[in-house]
Amino acid sequence: MSLSRVLQGLLAIFAMAGLFFSGVSTSDFTAHLDRQTHGLHCSFIPGADTPDVTGSSGCHATLMSPYSSVMRDSIWGGVPVSLPSMAVFAYLVVCAITLLLLGKETEKRATGYQALAWALPFLTSCIFGYLSLHELDAACKICIGIYASSTLGMVTSIVAFARARSGAPLAAAMKAAEDDEESMVETLTPRDESYGISLASLPTGAEDTIEDRGFESPVRTVNEADDTAAPAKRLRLATASEMDRRLRAGNVNRRKTAPSGPAQTSWGALALAFVVGLAFVLIPVGAYAANAPNFDHFVGACGTLAHPEDAGHVLVPLGPQTREATMIEVLDPLCPSCRGFERRFSAHPAAEQMSRKILLFPLDGTCNWMVDGAVHPGACVISEAVLCAEGDADEVLAWAFEHQEEIRTETTADAGAAARMVNARFPSLRSCLGSARVQAQLNRSLRWAVANQLPVLTPQVYVNNTRICDEDTDLGVDYVLTRLLSRDLGRGAE
Amino acid sequence: MSRSALVGIAAIVAFFGVATPTFLARRWQNAASVRLEQSEQEAAASAGSGEQVAVAAEADENYCTPQLRTILRRVLTSCGLIGASGRGCQPVQARSVATMSGDDFNALFLPMQGRGGIIQFDRDSADLEEIDTALLERVFADRQGASYFFVVSRASPEGNVEHNRDLSRARAEAVMTHLQNEFHDPELNQQVGLLWLGEEFAQLSQSFCDWTRSDGAGTCDPNTLNRSAFVAWIDCRL
Repeated sequence: MSLSRVLQGLLAIFAMAGLFFSGVSTSDFTAHLDRQTHGLHCSFIPGADTPDVTGSSGCHATLMSPYSSVMRDSIWGGVPVSLPSMAVFAYLVVCAITLLLLGKETEKRATGYQALAWALPFLTSCIFGYLSLHELDAACKICIGIYASSTLGMVTSIVAFARARSGAPLAAAMKAAEDDEESMVETLTPRDESYGISLASLPTGAEDTIEDRGFESPVRTVNEADDTAAPAKRLRLATASEMDRRLRAGNVNRRKTAPSGPAQTSWGALALAFVVGLAFVLIPVGAYAANAPNFDHFVGACGTLAHPEDAGHVLVPLGPQTREATMIEVLDPLCPSCRGFERRFSAHPAAEQMSRKILLFPLDGTCNWMVDGAVHPGACVISEAVLCAEGDADEVLAWAFEHQEEIRTETTADAGAAARMVNARFPSLRSCLGSARVQAQLNRSLRWAVANQLPVLTPQVYVNNTRICDEDTDLGVDYVLTRLLSRDLGRGAE
Repeated sequence: MSRSALVGIAAIVAFFGVATPTFLARRWQNAASVRLEQSEQEAAASAGSGEQVAVAAEADENYCTPQLRTILRRVLTSCGLIGASGRGCQPVQARSVATMSGDDFNALFLPMQGRGGIIQFDRDSADLEEIDTALLERVFADRQGASYFFVVSRASPEGNVEHNRDLSRARAEAVMTHLQNEFHDPELNQQVGLLWLGEEFAQLSQSFCDWTRSDGAGTCDPNTLNRSAFVAWIDCRL
C-alpha cells in the first residue's frame, strides 16, 4: 500500500476520532434538554469512568459556558457547537474515503482541498482551546480529544498535500514501474487514447520515449526528472510517419496506461465538494433547530418575590442602577454555579439593560443556619468582605469568583484562611471584616431570604421580581432573559 | 470497478456521513423530551404527596419544646413583640405570664448557654462599659437563625424594691439603646424582648457563673451576678 493511501487511512481515523468526541459532547449537551442535571463524560476515553456529577469538571464549565452553543436567544440552550463539529468530522471521513475510492489520494487539488477542509476544525480548535484556557480556566478532556483529532488531521492532511504537490508519489510509482517489464511502456496520449510500444519492437536505444507533435508523453517528464537514475538513456523523437508505420506493422500495441497519476480534479468538482460540505453542516443544524423543544411555558412560571422591598439595605448594587429592568441575584461568592451564571450573564446583551443587585446567601454553616456544615467553606467571610467593600463590591466578587477553588480548599484546611486571603488582597477591609456590624448585616441578608421564603440554593435570579426557573439559569438563561425582558417591555408599552 | 460505480459508492458514504450527526442529534433530543415529560409527571405527582425543596426559614432548635413555645408566646405577647403594643414586661407581668417559679423560669434559658451572655453592671449603675458593649455586640451579631433576642435585666437585692425595679429597667433600656445605635436594624423592635425583673423574680443562681460574663475575670457571687442584663438569642419558631 502506498504511503499516500496510508495517510488517507489515517485521516479517516482522525476524522472518526473527532466525530466520536464531538458526538459525546453533543450527547452530553442534548441530555440537558430535559432540564435536569446530568453527570458528564469528562475523560479521554468517554465511558471508561463514571460520569462526573459534581459540576466541577472542566467539561462542565465548558459546556455551561456561553461558548458551548450558538443561537441561544432563539433556541433553548442554543445549537451546540459540537453538532456542526460532528458534521465537519463526518464530512472529513467521507472526504478521505472518497479520495481513496476514486484514487485521488495523490492528486494535488483534491488533497489541497482536503487540507483546507481540515483547517476548519483545526482553527476552530485553536480558538476554542484559547477560550477554554484563558477565559474559562477549564480543561475539558472531551474537547481536548477534539483538538487533538483536529491537529493530527491538519498535520497529516498537509503531509498528504505536500506529497501530492511534490509529485513524490508519482515518481515513486514510476520508479517501481521501471522494474516491471510489463509496465515499461511508453505512453502516448493523443486526445483520449493511449498507445504503447513494446520494448522488444524498438531498435536498441530507442526504448525511452516516442513523442511526436500532437502526442504528450509523461514518460519524458519522468525521465527529465530522473536524469540521475538513468544518465545513459537517450531520447529519440519519433515522427508521425514512423509512428504510423509501426502501428500498421503491429509493433505498437494498445496497452494499459502506465502509472501516470490521477487526472486533475476540476474546479467544478471542488465547488461541488464545498457545497456538499455546507450541506453536511446545514442539514443536521437545521434539523436540530427544527426539532428544538419549545420551553416558552416555563418562562416566568417559577414564582415571584413576596417581599422585594429592601428596608434593611441588604441588597448589594452592582453596576449602574438607573436602568429600567431590575435583576436580583441570590448568590454565594464561592459557588461554582454562581460563577458560571456570572460568565453567561455578563456575556449576554441583557446585562446592559438591567439594574443589578445581589443578595448574599453563603452556603456555609458558619453563618447560615439553614445549611448543615459548610458546602462552600469560607463563603461567610467572603460575603462579609463583599458587604464591607460597599462601592467596590464588584471587585471583591470578581476576585472571589476567580479564586473560588483556592479559597475553599485553604479554608477547609484552616478556618482562618479565607480572612487572611481577603486581608492580603484588600487591606482596607481588615477593620470591617468579622466585625459585629457586618455579621449582623449578613444575617439580615439571610433573613431577607427567609422573609421571601426562597429555596436554599444558589444561584437564584429574579428579573423584575419574576424568578427565572433554576433549570433556566445555565443553558437556557439567554433564551429566558430575552423573553422576560421583551415581555416586560411589552407590558410597559401597554 | 468502474468510475461511476466508485462515485456511486462515494455518494452512499456521503449520505451516511450527513445522516449520522442528523439522526443522532434528533435521537438525543427526542430522548431528552421523553425524560422531561416523565419528570414533569413525577413532579406533579410529588407535589400532591407534600415533597418540597428546602425553603429558607428561621432556626428551630431541639430545645424548643411545646412547653417552651407556649411560655415564649405568652411572654412575647405580653412584652409587645407579638400582636400587642408597648414594650417591655414588668416583673409582675413576667411572673404571671410565666406561671412558674423563678428557678423554673431560669431553667428555660439553660439550653441557650452557647447563644447568650451576662452583661454585668457596677453597683447601682446602668452604664455600659466597653467590655460590656463588646460582649453584647458579639452575642447580638451571632444571631444565626434565631427569631428573638431576650434581654432580661435584674438588680441585686441591695436597696429597696422600687429602686431596684427602676434600676433593672434602666439596665434593659441601656442595652436596647446600644443595640439601636450600633446596628440600625429597622426590625429591632420586633426582635428584642425586654424583661426587667428587679430583685423580685427569678434571681440568677450561682450556676450561671459558668456563662459568658462581661466581667468574666471578676468574682462571681449572687449579688454581682444579678447586677446584670442576661442576653440571648432564642432559636425557636413560634
